[in-house]
Amino acid sequence: MFDIRKRRVAVAAAALAASAALALTGCSGGGSEAGGEYNPDEKVTLDLAFWGNDVRAAMYEEAIAAFNEEYPNITVNSSFLGFPEFWEKRQTEAAGGGLPDVMQFDYSYLRQYSENGLLLDLSPYLGDIIDTEPLSQNILDIGVVGDETTGIPTSTNAWGLYTNPKLLDQLGVEEFEGGDWADYDSWMKEITDTAAAQGVTIWGGTDYTGRIQNFELQQRAKGEDLFTEDGEPNFTEDDLAEFWESGSGIREDGIVIDQQRLEEIYPLSAFDSALTASELTWDNFGAGYLRNLGAEYTELGLVAPPVTEEGVKDLYLKPSMLHSISSTTDHPEAAATLVDFLVNSPEAGAAFGTNRGIPASETQLEGAQLDPLGEQIREYEESISDRLGDAPPVPIVGYGSLEEKFRLIGQELAFGTLTVDEAVDQFFGEMDVVLNQ
Amino acid sequence: MGLPPGPGALFSQGPENHVSTQTQSIVTAEAESKSVRQAMRQVRRAEKGKVPTTEGKRAQNRRETVAGYGFLLPWMLGFLGLTVGPMIFSLYLAFTKYNLFTAPEWVGLDNFVRMFTEDPQFMQSVQITLVYVLVGTPIKLAAALAIAMLLNYRNKGSGFFRSSFYAPSLIGASVSVAIVWRAMFSTDGPVDSSLSLFGIELGGWVGNVDLVMPMMILLAVWQFGAPMVIFLAGLKQIPQELYEAAEVDGAGPMRKFRSVTIPMLSSVIFFNLLLETINAFQVFASAFIISNGSGGPAGMTNFYTVYLYKRGFADGQMGYAAAMAWVLVIVVAVIAFILFKTQKSWVHYAGENR
Repeated sequence: MFDIRKRRVAVAAAALAASAALALTGCSGGGSEAGGEYNPDEKVTLDLAFWGNDVRAAMYEEAIAAFNEEYPNITVNSSFLGFPEFWEKRQTEAAGGGLPDVMQFDYSYLRQYSENGLLLDLSPYLGDIIDTEPLSQNILDIGVVGDETTGIPTSTNAWGLYTNPKLLDQLGVEEFEGGDWADYDSWMKEITDTAAAQGVTIWGGTDYTGRIQNFELQQRAKGEDLFTEDGEPNFTEDDLAEFWESGSGIREDGIVIDQQRLEEIYPLSAFDSALTASELTWDNFGAGYLRNLGAEYTELGLVAPPVTEEGVKDLYLKPSMLHSISSTTDHPEAAATLVDFLVNSPEAGAAFGTNRGIPASETQLEGAQLDPLGEQIREYEESISDRLGDAPPVPIVGYGSLEEKFRLIGQELAFGTLTVDEAVDQFFGEMDVVLNQ
Repeated sequence: MGLPPGPGALFSQGPENHVSTQTQSIVTAEAESKSVRQAMRQVRRAEKGKVPTTEGKRAQNRRETVAGYGFLLPWMLGFLGLTVGPMIFSLYLAFTKYNLFTAPEWVGLDNFVRMFTEDPQFMQSVQITLVYVLVGTPIKLAAALAIAMLLNYRNKGSGFFRSSFYAPSLIGASVSVAIVWRAMFSTDGPVDSSLSLFGIELGGWVGNVDLVMPMMILLAVWQFGAPMVIFLAGLKQIPQELYEAAEVDGAGPMRKFRSVTIPMLSSVIFFNLLLETINAFQVFASAFIISNGSGGPAGMTNFYTVYLYKRGFADGQMGYAAAMAWVLVIVVAVIAFILFKTQKSWVHYAGENR
């Protein structure tokens, strides 16, 4: 007969072995490759991460294919996510020490990652592997945190006022001719009133006091950035209260679209949905607007934002995105080569066009086939050159959270669930927390 | 906090009195079950007393134990490494400031102080979560019980209806349903249009500060399938004789429901109440999707877990998020404790003399 004892022992051993195997397979693989000297023919593999959608992913694929024609020894593994998920993933990777070699980077996170030593200082490669000739100095300065360059801007954008010519035509209202904020308010009122008279649901615009960029614009008109070089807030509770108060008129009189409608169409904006005829936003949003508006709408208007103070430099060029390299990369030279290609090469320009904004590098711009909208944006950025001042200091750590808080408070003001004073209290409370994180 | 209104108040009268005096059959049933339990106890006692006499038996026992733990090991590793470990770590994090980039910094009770004194958003989040739990759960259970009773009434076709009523629970938690829900309750969406037919002009619910909560509760109530199936099983356990006897005594449908159904079902009600309450506290996916992760409008879908997630993963305030998680654990534990304490007064376990 079968020896039951032996069988039991065997079963116990098998169970132990199986669970040990399960535990071990979890941490096999990997193993670091040595960094060492740069050998241009060495076979290396780089991870590249970016945020975007299928359209942008196809563009990256095209750019990487062109890159591999020149550097067949560098294999690039790319992956992409939506913007919020992209940063959630980077956060956990940063905590675990496993950031991808090359990343598309956002201005508002640059300081946080740089100050924690997560990004490679690119200074040694500037003018060497990374060509600085086609990049102007103020563009290069954007990516400097402390005394290190940790990001190279791919492209820039500026704050602007998009309008919808088709809706304006339909209503018989003239394009915004420029002017101060009161002029803008009355122009929006004209649109809303005309639309109401004609029985169509169109508003002049969205409550602009819900966005921190408009507050920044008005503060810069006074000569003050939102935050100082040291990351201290540079505005008072009164400044903020005054700003939010200034929007109460357009909110309460129904000149701007109501918040309830905005909630329903979110994540699309009112402008995307042809419910408003104007929107203050970054000028690289144009392509997205045209896509969301659909085939009926073929062109957009793009004019300068309302003027707070004549003759001041309140606007600035912001990097729409940068490229950064992880400080833990095993192949810094290869990574820098890829960054140079993605920032400077005409091939990258041909692949991306204006998808990432107007190319910051002259050589990339040469390769880019600007569509009519891209050409319009480039002309717009030229037209506002008198109003373009120095970029503000690299955003403070947690600026993204503050921007979102500002937006949420704007919604509550629009719903009337917060008074301006309560809103100011909440924002400063939040700022306290963020500055102390 | 206490018990949700409704069921608790209904059941507080001592149910046992009605049942034990009913009919001969229940007495026999109880006597039977009593004797069965006595027999079981004897068997168990006998097993316990059986001490292995030989060395070989003891060794065999040991090997069996080793084999048992061996098979348990993969699960134990997961449980310790993926559940207990992170929980202990999060308890530590709750007392720190941690942004994932720099090492956690001990701040004592700061996170908890901030939560209860300096964070209006937190208080709002607690408020709406409580409303959701205290209003949504009783309605959901009542709906589940009502449908279960309808299904129990006739056998014909009940399989079909049981499945169709259960279906929303299967798909309810999915992303697509939340998106459909969003579309249905928008301005000029199906709900708005059909209400307009009756002259009720409410507009869209999704973006309306006052209506988004009722909408969320409706979404939860609609997924009553799981408690319904459990209720149905409980209803089928109630001996038909009790109803017959009650009928002989001249009880109407309401009286039968109050004096037979509710007491006999109280253990199942207790189970469902406990489970659904805890589930309701953890509402996340539907709110997250319906508000596109923003918790809007005006924070009215910013439920506890949504807010926790936003603090942790969007704002990088892991310490604060961990503290919030532990407050939730404590609150849910306290509520479960209170429910267990009060069950003596209203929960009747068939066949037990309490």
